[in-house]
Amino acid sequence: MPAATNEAIKPDDILKELSAYWTTLGADSHAPEEKTESGGLLRACSMTLICFADDEEDAAQLNEMLASLMRQHPSRLIVVRLRDGEDELAARVSSQCWMPFGHQRQICCEQVEVTASINRLADVASIVAPLAAPDLPRVIVLRSARIVRAGALRKVLALGDKIVVDSSRLGAPGFGEIGGLLDAGHITGDLAWTRLTPIRALLAQLLENRQARDIVIEYAGKEAGPEVRYLQAWLQTALPDAYVSLHGNGLLQEDCRADEGKATVVRVDKDLAVRLCPGGAEYETGAMRLRASMPPATEEMLLNEELGIVVHDRVFERALNHITA
Amino acid sequence: MSVESPLNDPLRFHRKTPPCVVVIFGANGDLTKRKLMPALYRLAYEGRLAPGFAVIGISRTPMTDDDFRARMHDSVAKFLEDSPFDEDLWRSFAQGLFYLPGDVGDHALYEQISKSLGEIEKGHETAGNVLFYLSTQPSQYAEIAEGLGAAGLAKGTGWRRIIIEKPFGHDLSSARDLNTRIQAHFHEEQIYRIDHYLGKETVQNIMAFRFGNGIFEPLWNRRYIEHVQITAAESIGVEGRGAYYQEAGALRDMIQNHLLQVMATIAMEPSATFSSDAVRDERAKLLRSVRILKPEEVADNAVAGQYGPGRVGGQQVVGFRQEPGVNPESTTNTYAAVTVLVENWRWAGVPFYIRTGKYLPKRVTEIAIHFRSAPLSVFRSSDAPGETLPNLLILRIQPEEGISLKFVSKRPGAGMTLRPVSMDFNYGASFGERSPSAYETLLLDAIIGDATLYTRQDMVEASWQAVQPILDSWSSQKFDFPNYAAGTWGPAAADAMLARRGHVWRTP
Repeated sequence: MPAATNEAIKPDDILKELSAYWTTLGADSHAPEEKTESGGLLRACSMTLICFADDEEDAAQLNEMLASLMRQHPSRLIVVRLRDGEDELAARVSSQCWMPFGHQRQICCEQVEVTASINRLADVASIVAPLAAPDLPRVIVLRSARIVRAGALRKVLALGDKIVVDSSRLGAPGFGEIGGLLDAGHITGDLAWTRLTPIRALLAQLLENRQARDIVIEYAGKEAGPEVRYLQAWLQTALPDAYVSLHGNGLLQEDCRADEGKATVVRVDKDLAVRLCPGGAEYETGAMRLRASMPPATEEMLLNEELGIVVHDRVFERALNHITA
Repeated sequence: MSVESPLNDPLRFHRKTPPCVVVIFGANGDLTKRKLMPALYRLAYEGRLAPGFAVIGISRTPMTDDDFRARMHDSVAKFLEDSPFDEDLWRSFAQGLFYLPGDVGDHALYEQISKSLGEIEKGHETAGNVLFYLSTQPSQYAEIAEGLGAAGLAKGTGWRRIIIEKPFGHDLSSARDLNTRIQAHFHEEQIYRIDHYLGKETVQNIMAFRFGNGIFEPLWNRRYIEHVQITAAESIGVEGRGAYYQEAGALRDMIQNHLLQVMATIAMEPSATFSSDAVRDERAKLLRSVRILKPEEVADNAVAGQYGPGRVGGQQVVGFRQEPGVNPESTTNTYAAVTVLVENWRWAGVPFYIRTGKYLPKRVTEIAIHFRSAPLSVFRSSDAPGETLPNLLILRIQPEEGISLKFVSKRPGAGMTLRPVSMDFNYGASFGERSPSAYETLLLDAIIGDATLYTRQDMVEASWQAVQPILDSWSSQKFDFPNYAAGTWGPAAADAMLARRGHVWRTP
């Protein structure tokens, strides 16, 4: 579909374009004489997903990731690409379609791509708000470092039921800013926290019937990254009687297998050591050395988990509050 | 992990299992290779099994632990679906695999099992929890339960449970006998009778659909529903299982267990809670409400069929009697259609038509709920041909799992011309994530101790009671088989059965 307009964009026009687009797609996929129940095209939408990205970011790669994500969370997808220039505002509509294996019906999600200069961010908010699908959750993914610095951020955030950030990304909001989102009442997710889910699940199982007293988290590097900070905060808030400490660049630092770098090791009372590496975790129980598979999480996998939780995540919020206190 | 654990994160963590040993009888069989072991490995892959989880495989074939591990490695690598096979994880998982050769009729085998369980409990910290899985010939079920009971293995320091594969008997009397023999050693709450249909995500979704939404339940009764059709069609024949199948038949193999359970899920009353016994009480109550046919009513309400030669997918296929291992004069039903009437206030007078068969035109399992037509026609019939069509709610179990609502809509343009349209919910489109296999769900439930999706003694007996008059009648009847060609929708008598009430089978 061609670009909508320059400089000023009417949301009504975009909605009309979307409607016309579906009529065309439907007609293309289903000849009128066909009256089978299968075949044709299914328009799927379970939420509005608004993704703010920098225009320098590889558009094809981002689109591929979001298209793949649509299969888990079919959405009205609004991608806002932000650039540094002046007074630029344009939009176009398209769709993401796929044919599930073994099925006869194509599934499609609609996509609106908005390109805007950072000084038009306030206008973007006024365009995106009416485009959101009614009665469904609205989730904002902030991938752009620019937006964190922008003055109109508050208007953008007001669009979403949930805000997802990744504090591991360069230029991403820090713990204080994420805490600010929580304080403002937003449901908030941080992909740095999401990365910990399989690790936390394993530790929860291993520690369930222990009276852990002394837990040490050894990590590579001088400064603990957000994941390590979250891990410490979670353990400390869940086990208030234990002392949970961090050791960076420790003498006990262990290597993972070839090319996997250094392990983060969680040592519990000197009789349990869980080595966390990119491919999985290893630990010993009795005479057995056991492994839990933990394939490195892609951004798509992390977003998939976060998009499935559109309620306040009290465990995350408790850990974040512990860090920011 | 317990729900109360301070480390639990119910929003994000999957259900975890307590430590245990699974003892599989029939460990060298197809079910273990194709379904059970891939399901257990997948649960390990997802981190759902407790550290130290162990399996003891038992069969007659002499094998060492390492031979067994090697066989299971190959089976899991071959039959694992939708998941990568991780060699490192397998090595970790395989440390918990053990094997004992033996004859289930030999009491020495049970002493061996007892000894192995003791050793594994110490090394793997399994807390004395044991799940016995009977994946053998059904004729060995009672013998194994008695062997376990006599060796004191039905009780222990932890919990003891036993999973029994279908069929639970071959008629009402044998089902009762089997239960009596098993219950001599295991309490009912220890017995998990598996019906893998109930483990299917989409069958479970029927309960979510009915009881999680407020708008359907008011319509879910005789006032608004005219009839219900349940179809489980297979597009293949007996696939080399002719010898087994001719002892069972479609009525025993599908309707007595899977499809009556599905029907019970569709028609049961809402349970007060979602606890295992509350849900099963309602299913059992519904099955007990099924009208038992009198001998003279069977002919009008049940149709048997057997496929003859035909063309399927452009290929000529042989009839059932020509299949390897099948008696050339076999009277086994490869197709069965039954009209079930439920005698309660909600469903009085609403027929539930259930059909299943081999070599039907397509593989499909669905429930079609036919609503009554609008009470008054306000459009001119020439303009509104679609208006006479009833509303239909289709619950698709497989493939293309989902729910569709059919209604009429005005065609765009001048005049009031109506056309039927479909509003679709596609399970895969809304939840792209992988659905666990039925065996993953059911094994996990049994280890956790949740029997909601397992059938209970009273449910088994009630469903046998419902089909017993049909079995009795058919056993003495001479059939003019084959009566449908492979690749067609079954015998004409099945159409006539519906036509008597003014209904027609839906073409899925």
